[in-house]
Amino acid sequence: MTDEPSATLDGVTRTYGGVPVLTDVSLSVGTGVTAVVGPNGSGKSTLLGVLAGAVDPTAGTVRYRYGGPREGGDKRVGYLPQRVPFRDGLTARETLGFYAALVDGDPDAALTGVGLADAAGKRVEALSGGMRRLLGIAQATLGDPAVVVLDEPTSGLDPEMRERAFRAAARAGDDAAVVVSSHDLDLVDAHADAVVVLRRGSVAAAGPRERLLAEHDAADVRELYRAVVGGSPDGPGVDDEGSDGDADGERDAESVHVAGVSDR
Amino acid sequence: MTSAAAGVWLVFRRELATVRRTPGYAVLAIGLLVVLGGLVAVGGGGATGFVPAVVDLLLPTEVLVPLLAVVLGYRALFADAASGELAVIRTYPVSAAEYVLGVLLARTAALVAIVGGPFALVGAYVWLTAAPDTGIFATHAGVDSPVLFVRFLALVVLFGAAYLSLSAAVSVVATSRRSAVALAVLALLAGVVGGDLAILRALSAGGSASGVAGSIALTPNGAFRGLVFEHVIGVAFAPEGGFVASGRAVASLVGWTVGGGVAAAAILAFRSHVDVALERTRGRFRQ
Repeated sequence: MTDEPSATLDGVTRTYGGVPVLTDVSLSVGTGVTAVVGPNGSGKSTLLGVLAGAVDPTAGTVRYRYGGPREGGDKRVGYLPQRVPFRDGLTARETLGFYAALVDGDPDAALTGVGLADAAGKRVEALSGGMRRLLGIAQATLGDPAVVVLDEPTSGLDPEMRERAFRAAARAGDDAAVVVSSHDLDLVDAHADAVVVLRRGSVAAAGPRERLLAEHDAADVRELYRAVVGGSPDGPGVDDEGSDGDADGERDAESVHVAGVSDR
Repeated sequence: MTSAAAGVWLVFRRELATVRRTPGYAVLAIGLLVVLGGLVAVGGGGATGFVPAVVDLLLPTEVLVPLLAVVLGYRALFADAASGELAVIRTYPVSAAEYVLGVLLARTAALVAIVGGPFALVGAYVWLTAAPDTGIFATHAGVDSPVLFVRFLALVVLFGAAYLSLSAAVSVVATSRRSAVALAVLALLAGVVGGDLAILRALSAGGSASGVAGSIALTPNGAFRGLVFEHVIGVAFAPEGGFVASGRAVASLVGWTVGGGVAAAAILAFRSHVDVALERTRGRFRQ
């Protein structure tokens, strides 16, 4: 673990059709698993897209310690979008083989790493939702990128598959900065080293999990979430339910540092 | 680390694997073969020779080849962008240009098989059934020859490649499958009838008829038709050429092909920057 962040967002704003989805987000992520949580529509996927280089911010900058997604001849950032996008018609082995060849990786080792060795010959469309997500995690971690971005890797999975997906993400976090968005607060509690809570496109709270729990006098991430956002992770936050719309008392300072990274 | 050539090759292989596993394309090839065979049969069969067969096929070719090329190309670049896989691919060391080149080369290889294959089979049928003098490999005017059909075949592939590249470029700006289809149909209509209509309109407005040979070469259909007249049909029947400016026509077909690819790569590479610039402008207006 190092004190220097693997990726740093500074004043990042993103609008769509003039409507802000992310507003002035500043944070850093380092080695380990950083979980991004927040209500639907709070900007999690946009934040992860910005980190992965799939979404350009309308304002602000993103800096990477080891280079950005399209810099140099190596893969610097791994990315699994919310909707697993692999082509039908190709097998799991062929799909991963294509990506592995681009980074001189080993597709069989990657498949084995996520427990899909037996499904290597299955076509992508024949894989279950959970297996597709595991394939996506294997793809994202190919080439040992310094930053791995996984957008809701446990969405729609049964409990066993969710656990497998999170365990695979956590293993990648031994050597990389793994940023995972999720509504599954129990798994976040079990595996995340740091937590970012988003609310209405802004960072409501962020930092090492243990520190945040202590600061908010919460026993686990679920309580932390209630304290910061209110409501459940799948539903609207307290602000969305009509209370004080400017309630941002839990919002940290302008720049927030997470995942075992010292404060800037 | 991947070299540019290796990146293109890997994208090419993946694209070709996808095409190979799409049964609809094989059906299209069979359908094209049936239509071409039927047209030659209606025109008197293979016994009439290569040039009569080309004459019979020319007009349908001007519609069928663009149609099949557009079918092959309209989702070539749209599919990965729409599914989100392009965002994943772009996290790997593959540039937009390498990606577009790999996809278009694979689709062009598919075009050679799906469109060129049926035409080649029709040519082989003519060779096997035509009168004896068509077996001569003529290099001079006045004699029907397999070489003329090979030229026609080469022009068909080049013609199809231009439409394939254009439809792929158009597909990049599509935001949904429906809009990809609509844009592809629009490009097809504009190419197949738009160019000729524009020339007719220019002539009716008082334009010089002597300039037609030059201006007709600018559209894919005009260039293809002119080249077929100049280097296939005209070789056998007319000692004088002048249907089209050959160099300009070839440059036109190559230009449409390369231009489509370059446009597609540029759109893929810079679209997000344009999007951000628009958002910033919107933001300023809202303030």
